[in-house]
Amino acid sequence: MSSVFQDDVIAFADDYVMGLMSPTEAELFEALIAADPALAAHVARLREQLLPLDLSAEALALPPGFAARLQDIIARTPQDAAPTTPLSADPTVAPVAANLPRAPMRWLAGLAASLVLGLVLGFGGAMQRPAPAPQVVAVLLDDQGQPRAIIEDYGDDTAQIRFVSDVDVPQGFSIQAWTLPSREMGPQSLGVLDGPRATTLAGPDLPVPADAQLYEITLEPEGGSPTGRPTGPIIAKGLAAAQNI
Amino acid sequence: MTDDTRQRSRQLDRALTACAEGRPEGIDAILDIEGSQLLGVARRILIRHDLAEEALQDAMVLIWRKAAQQRQGEGTARGWIYAVLRNRCLTILRDGKRLSSLSPDELTRMQDARQDLCHDDDWKLLAGKGRLGECLDALDDPARRAILLAHVAGYSHGEISARQGVPLGTAKSWIRRGLASLRECLS
Repeated sequence: MSSVFQDDVIAFADDYVMGLMSPTEAELFEALIAADPALAAHVARLREQLLPLDLSAEALALPPGFAARLQDIIARTPQDAAPTTPLSADPTVAPVAANLPRAPMRWLAGLAASLVLGLVLGFGGAMQRPAPAPQVVAVLLDDQGQPRAIIEDYGDDTAQIRFVSDVDVPQGFSIQAWTLPSREMGPQSLGVLDGPRATTLAGPDLPVPADAQLYEITLEPEGGSPTGRPTGPIIAKGLAAAQNI
Repeated sequence: MTDDTRQRSRQLDRALTACAEGRPEGIDAILDIEGSQLLGVARRILIRHDLAEEALQDAMVLIWRKAAQQRQGEGTARGWIYAVLRNRCLTILRDGKRLSSLSPDELTRMQDARQDLCHDDDWKLLAGKGRLGECLDALDDPARRAILLAHVAGYSHGEISARQGVPLGTAKSWIRRGLASLRECLS
């Protein structure tokens, strides 16, 4: 497939490796890399190829005490857990070798849309993923415009949520995911999370999600909102992008 | 790749695996193997020692935090470690607030020093002796300069276009075409 989208994904990977993306673009792109082994391989290869440019810098001795200070810091720094299963990986399908040109149009269209428009992101089906594909994808941004989480709603009352940057959940609180199918229905809970980890949500019987439907995550008392409506501060929110492009 | 580089690369893989398993000695090992080189890269981009040390410290903390995720991913430990460090340097470089504590003279000195990084006549030193140098040599001058300014000196598209006196789109297209030719040459 030779299309403008294929050129775009390569251009995005170039910009990412060269450090020419804004932090927000880079975070979105990292979420895509995490979901697509072929793209990850492409990025890794380009990095390796350019590595001699870094290895040519004149080495500089570490200042005394640097390693000890660093050990003090990491002793207080919890590690991020490894993702259990990448969102779009299917263990029953063997990974496909890096073949960006064969990536589905829909995936690439989503990549272009997300990075060009910088708001919503629609990676509908990475190449390894069989049906079902999500009906909508929403990138949830915090009040600073930073992406925090991505929700893929499958339209069968299940949704996947994945976090793309740190979310602090104080002791005694939970994260709750919501959507607003319509003003009349009001916010509907998609589920309560015990931490900012990739989770499959099984919500109530809801209408098929629509383009531009609102999704958000809030901080709620442990176990979820006592009222059935969002009560805590909004951590991040975003509008869905329909995936039938 | 020399035997020494290959051996260091394997040691780094092991060190990152140790980090992924929650063993802090992996961080010490990465510093032992690659710390001086990493600090050298940070100093080349950021010019100032204090900023370079800050960037390396931040990068090592990120490496500690994200090691387990990375170990499931693609590529060598070394490629990833340098990518984390470079990203951290660029974030500092482009953070207006972070740099606002520096005096105007200091900022000017930093910018001037970065300008001097990619002289037309000694760029070959930057690429080392391998195939990358040959492939960079085969590029036309503007594309090569744009790629080196971005990767070595941490220039943004906007800075490249301003420095070279061309529209933004031209600077972007130099980098894009240049990397496409590089990929072809290196493959």
